[in-house]
Amino acid sequence: MRKLVIIGLLVIAGLAVGVYRAKLGAEETSVRIEKTEAEVRKVTEEIAVLKAEEAYLSRPERIGPMARDKLGLEPSSPGQFTAPEALSQRLGEERLTLPVEAIVAPAAPAPVKPAPVKPAPVKPAAKAPVAPVTAPKETPAQ
Amino acid sequence: MTVPASPHEDRWGPRRARIVAGALALAFTVIVGRSAQIAFNGPHEADAAVAVATERRADIVDRNGDLLATSLPAWSLSADPRAIWDARETAEAIASVMPGTNVKDLTARLSDRNKHFVWIQRGMTPRQRQTVFDLGLEGLRFDEEMRRVYPGGKLAGHLIGFTDVDGKGVEGMEHVFNDRLAKGGEPLRLTIDAGVQYALEAELERAYEDFDMKGAAGVVVDSSTGAVRAMASWPGIDPNRPGDSNADVRLNKATGAVYELGSIYKPLTVAAAFEAGVLSVNDLFDVSAPLKVGGATVRDAHPLEHPHAVTPQDILAYSSNIGAAEIGQRLAPGQQKDFLASLGLLTKPVYAGPPAASPITPKSWDALTLATVSYGHGIAVSPLAFAMTYTPFANGGELLSPAFLEPVEAATIEKRRVMSEPTARAVMGMMRQTVVIGTGKQAEAPGYEVAGKTGTAEKPGPNGYDADKNITSFAAVFPASRPQFVVLIVLDEAQPRTGDARTAAFTAAAIAGRLIARAAPMLDVAPVLQAPADAPRQGLRTISEQRTL
Repeated sequence: MRKLVIIGLLVIAGLAVGVYRAKLGAEETSVRIEKTEAEVRKVTEEIAVLKAEEAYLSRPERIGPMARDKLGLEPSSPGQFTAPEALSQRLGEERLTLPVEAIVAPAAPAPVKPAPVKPAPVKPAAKAPVAPVTAPKETPAQ
Repeated sequence: MTVPASPHEDRWGPRRARIVAGALALAFTVIVGRSAQIAFNGPHEADAAVAVATERRADIVDRNGDLLATSLPAWSLSADPRAIWDARETAEAIASVMPGTNVKDLTARLSDRNKHFVWIQRGMTPRQRQTVFDLGLEGLRFDEEMRRVYPGGKLAGHLIGFTDVDGKGVEGMEHVFNDRLAKGGEPLRLTIDAGVQYALEAELERAYEDFDMKGAAGVVVDSSTGAVRAMASWPGIDPNRPGDSNADVRLNKATGAVYELGSIYKPLTVAAAFEAGVLSVNDLFDVSAPLKVGGATVRDAHPLEHPHAVTPQDILAYSSNIGAAEIGQRLAPGQQKDFLASLGLLTKPVYAGPPAASPITPKSWDALTLATVSYGHGIAVSPLAFAMTYTPFANGGELLSPAFLEPVEAATIEKRRVMSEPTARAVMGMMRQTVVIGTGKQAEAPGYEVAGKTGTAEKPGPNGYDADKNITSFAAVFPASRPQFVVLIVLDEAQPRTGDARTAAFTAAAIAGRLIARAAPMLDVAPVLQAPADAPRQGLRTISEQRTL
């Protein structure tokens, strides 16, 4: 009987400790939740501030003059639109406005490989002049 | 004889004592441990106190989601006068870091020992709070609260409105949708486009550079849905500092003021006559002589080139008052009145948006009224209410209600047929000619086929109409071949600084043209292109139309 009482007391003590730990754990969890919620609120507020700053910095009143003065941008004009079938004509017009050298650029000279020249047989005629070996002329650019 | 000791007493007595001692020691240890934890970490309630439960008012954004109004954390400063030893010293210290503080007034309030709470400053920034906090004054208290901020400054200031220090909407959309905004949650998405709104405000501001004027208003409306894409009142207000503007400036002239708008009523007169079956496009009128109606005489400001035989199109294109009055005379007074009533011009507009002003309408509808209303005198309405009357011309005859909140869905669009499609189309053609050859030439925006009508009305004064004070306006629809938007510009007493005439042809029409050229690309309106000369003749088409071919 006494053993039973002792065991019961131990069980009760164990349960008490368990309940205390559970309660303590719940409190700690609650604290963590509150901290997290406070952090979420703080971050939400920071996001709101950043969004407000973004909206303030990107307001048309500020961006418009900056785009015009620093980037040379202007609102698009009707003349900047065109129809697909008019593109060839449009591109032709723009091509004509390019510098002539940009349109008719000289072709880069192709690497010229000198024709193999057979060495003339050396004649013992020491006094005879040796004809100079010249590379073939380049084809002029078309 | 000795009594033998109970074996149980001998065995359990010391053990019980140890168990009790152990239990007590354990309890003591727990108490001490918990005390130490609290002592070193502090009670968790302190952490919870960091966040004050304040409901965050919902944001306001434009149709693209660009932020127009938001709520940011701020601090309010209050004091308990009974906890303050030296009220004057405290007031002077606060004033030293917060310029603008009335030391005398604050001293008096902090000296009132009957109160235990006095507001000192609301809406302080975190930096301001820290500055006051660093003074180390006793009896002060800081509370976290939300402060309404409008990052766009004056952008759409009249439409958005503002809140009071308690965060309650008192003007504009902040007032109209206060309950919805106060609940927080998703942003309130307006129909306006921040880019178009800025273009409208910038053009009105530029108008002031060109003209000396008392005020102005402008509206851009989607003619297929009624969505208001821009609405402005000049001078503008900054909702961040509403106190800087007087009541006259704070009035939203686009909805809260009424004007006699003059000749922009003439297309309505022509449409009413078409609908009544008393006018055809080929009818001819003689406008060579002033027209006597009742005790008044109707005159034209500028005689027409061939005044003995002018068509309804000529009457609109060259804005003949005599011609409009003659068309009006073909109507019965009841017909004109009913037509204007069907357009919503005789009653206070009802819609979910900024407060609307009631129109000023004729007391009796006699022959003289019939004539004067035909060219826009004797009746005063708000610019927004009038702009909506041009939506039938643009969409084939249906009057729309203005919409201020997205999404604007087909099922929720309020529309009512007020004229037939042929009537709408015929009047549109006449208004296009008004811009091409008539008084509205300055409103032309190349590629955007502006159709519209000028209006110049004398302002009523104590001694009748004042010829030196005008309301000039231009009502437009664009593009004429596939109408999408209605634009209305109204200028109050605009006098060109260059010395030009102060009629709408030289004032409001030019503003409308510049606005359309600037806003059309933002509204996804592609310009009408002329097909190249060598391409197969297929008429005028837009880029998107040509791509589908």
